[in-house]
Amino acid sequence: MEDQALFEQYRATGDISIRNKIVEKYLYIASVIAKKFVGRGVEYDDLFQVASLALIKGVDRFDVSKGLQFSTFITPTITGEIKNYFRDRSRLVHLPRRVAELRVSVKRAAEELTAETGKKPTAKELAARLSVSEEEVVSAMEAGSVVSLDRSASGEEEGMSYYDVLPAEDMDIEALEQRDAVSSALKILSKEERALVRYRFSEELSQTETAKRLGVSQMYVSRMERRVLNKLRENYKNSMAD
Amino acid sequence: MDEKILLRFPLKNDYLTTVRLTTGGMCSLVGIDVETSEDCKVCVTESLLLLKRSGYTAAEIAFSCGEGLRVDIAGKDKSGAPAPSEEDEISCVLLGALVDNLNMEHDGGVISALSFGFGI
Repeated sequence: MEDQALFEQYRATGDISIRNKIVEKYLYIASVIAKKFVGRGVEYDDLFQVASLALIKGVDRFDVSKGLQFSTFITPTITGEIKNYFRDRSRLVHLPRRVAELRVSVKRAAEELTAETGKKPTAKELAARLSVSEEEVVSAMEAGSVVSLDRSASGEEEGMSYYDVLPAEDMDIEALEQRDAVSSALKILSKEERALVRYRFSEELSQTETAKRLGVSQMYVSRMERRVLNKLRENYKNSMAD
Repeated sequence: MDEKILLRFPLKNDYLTTVRLTTGGMCSLVGIDVETSEDCKVCVTESLLLLKRSGYTAAEIAFSCGEGLRVDIAGKDKSGAPAPSEEDEISCVLLGALVDNLNMEHDGGVISALSFGFGI
C-alpha cells in the first residue's frame, strides 16, 4: 500500500496495526539519525529509543493532506527530539566530567594493553577495548594530561610539589581561613598570653599544667585566660564592624 | 578581521576523525559551547558524505574564525561516479535542522559546495 493510503487509512480508523506498519517502514530514519548523534556520552540504543518514540509521535501528527513527504517531515522532528534529550540530560551530566572519566579509562586500558601485548596501543586499539569511537579516545587524551602530585609546582627540579601547594578539599580552605583569622587575632596578644593560648587551646593542657609551664600560679592563669578571651572577643567584634 | 584555516584532504572515511577533531578545535577556539560544537561536527561530516556521494574524491574546508565560525566546504577532484543514496535527503534535512544559515551549491545536478555558520 502507498504511503498516502496508509496515512489516510490510519487517520480514518486510528488502527494501531496500521500505525505500526508505517513506523516499521520508517524506522531506518530513526536509526540513521540516532547514529549521527553517537559519541556525546549517550549509548546508541538510548538514542534509537528517543528517535523511535519521536517517529511514533510524528506518525500521529503527520498531515498527509499538506503534500509533504513523510521523510522530510520526520527528520527534523526526530532531530529536535534528540536535541531536547541532550539538553535535558546535560543538566544532569557535565560533558567535561564524562571526558575526565574517559581519560581515566583510556589510561587504564593503555596500561592493560601494554602489559598484554608488550607494545604501546594505538588510539584505534584503545577505542576497540573501551567500545568508544577513536575520536573520543583522541579527544580525551587531548583534554589535558595527568600530572603527578609529586611533580614540582614551579617546574624546577627543586621547590614545592603540587601536593604541597594544592588544597585537598574545600574544607581545608575553610580551615586555612580560620587559621589565618586566629593568627591575625593572636598578634594583639603579648608573648605570655600567646603561650597561654597555645597551652590551653592548642595543646589542651589544664590550667594547673599551663601554670607550671609558665612558672605562675593556677589563679594567675585563670585571670589571664579571662583577660585574653575578652581581648580576642573585642578584637573580633571590631574586625566585624570594619 | 576573520582568520582563515584551510584543510584539503582525500574524501575517505579514514580522514573523518581528523576532520571532526579539527572542527571541534576550531569551535573551541571561537568559544562555541560543547553541545553546539558537536552539532557543527555533525554538519561537517554530513556535508562531506554528501560531497562523496556526489562523486567528489577530495574536499576542501575553509574555517573562518571571527565572531563565530563560518565553514565553507567544497568538493574537489570530481573523478568518482555519483552514488546517490536515500540518506542524501536525510543528510540535507538534518543539516537544515541543525543550522539556520545553510547554503548549498549544485554543479551538474549534484551538490558541489556547502556553507554554514555557528555562533555568527
